[in-house]
Amino acid sequence: MQLKPSLLAFTLLLAAHAQADDYVAVHYIHYDEGSGRTTIQTPTVELNKDFGTDYTLNLSAGRDALSGASPTWYDATSGASARLPDHAVPANDIHYGNIPYDDNRTFVSGALTTRFENRDALTVGLNYSSESDYLSRGVSAEYLHYLDESKNRSVSVGLSYQKNSVDVHCFLGNTICDAISGASSKTITKDLDVINAEIGLTQILDTQSLIKASLFYNYESGYLSNPYMRVVRNTTHIVEEAKPNARKGGGATLTYSRALTDALSVNLYYRFYHDDWDITSHTISLSTFYELNDTLTLGLAGRYYTQSAAWFYHPGKDHFTDETYASSDRRMGAWDAYDLKVSADIHVSETVTIQGAAGYYTQPGTFHSRYLSVGIQYGF
Amino acid sequence: MGRLLMLSTLIFLLGGCGMIQDVKPWEKDQLAKETLTPAGSDTNLHAFRKHLYFSKEASKGGGGVAGGGCGCN
Repeated sequence: MQLKPSLLAFTLLLAAHAQADDYVAVHYIHYDEGSGRTTIQTPTVELNKDFGTDYTLNLSAGRDALSGASPTWYDATSGASARLPDHAVPANDIHYGNIPYDDNRTFVSGALTTRFENRDALTVGLNYSSESDYLSRGVSAEYLHYLDESKNRSVSVGLSYQKNSVDVHCFLGNTICDAISGASSKTITKDLDVINAEIGLTQILDTQSLIKASLFYNYESGYLSNPYMRVVRNTTHIVEEAKPNARKGGGATLTYSRALTDALSVNLYYRFYHDDWDITSHTISLSTFYELNDTLTLGLAGRYYTQSAAWFYHPGKDHFTDETYASSDRRMGAWDAYDLKVSADIHVSETVTIQGAAGYYTQPGTFHSRYLSVGIQYGF
Repeated sequence: MGRLLMLSTLIFLLGGCGMIQDVKPWEKDQLAKETLTPAGSDTNLHAFRKHLYFSKEASKGGGGVAGGGCGCN
């Protein structure tokens, strides 16, 4: 089942900036949506190593074990199945519900940061992730350039490219397989290419605060539909969804970080996003950290997200007829989401830190999920 | 977008007006702390949460590749 790869390259680059000490960390994350929907168990390992003052290497790997169910349309008389019915279905028998699935995702990524004599930095990253029906390979690069002698102002430019392969299983009954004359393969592999570009400016305001602003642009081209998602056409036919095969989007972010006291810090983040599928979103997040003493650091984070619907989205089963593009994928709809997280870092010794966190993510009226994370970090 | 460009310009102008302090390298101990990043120290969980948003939401990008140089390294 395709949860699709994250922007691992960008994430890793961020991680490389956030921590610059030598350490190895092991984490376990448990994610549960409840009500028979998705459960994910993710063990990860991460290594960060400085080589002198000019090089930093960051490596990480993990494996998601996914199980549960994902909602879409199905023929209730034949049970909740991902397979498309090959006949008209009476409208009363068409239900929207959870289709079971399970899968594993393995992901590996690495990034090398090189700092030059003027302390400008170049970070190059590679990432790979694999599911039973989805393969993603990516490369990224970011160049950080300081604009003043005190290194209080910097500009950075980042670029990443991902090449993804999506397997569409013909046993599901998709017409994409029927369109290939004489096809003997049981799966058809479709490509999806993703390009991300971002430019940012960071300014230190004083000894306690800094501000970051960025512009970003995304371009996706290829198979952007989900082979497991259905729509109902002409009220009686359950068929695969059809999203456009390209998407251009972009936006802006603004981050303000301030140490209110020696122990208390706060980070504010805002993102504006818009794309040519008519999706517009706003994201606001706040994270605070309080160093209670030398042993314990507490964290609290909240996030609010709201988006408008894609122009080809409709949730109903009596809406679509012969439109070229049609989707009932709820991710394309208009809704709000909230995320709340608490965390604690226990510094057991100079080199060992135990990390724990719990979070709650919800799209009210659709689903709620909880996640727990425990880990240990060893510095050397 | 336009507003962000205006803000970026404003940052530079503020520097010229003295509203931005010239912080020396030895004064950046607070700025170098992990707690002055939205991720904090747990970058693994931060990456997972970003993957969660990516999987459940229609928006993409703006994840933080750009910016971040505090001149601490």
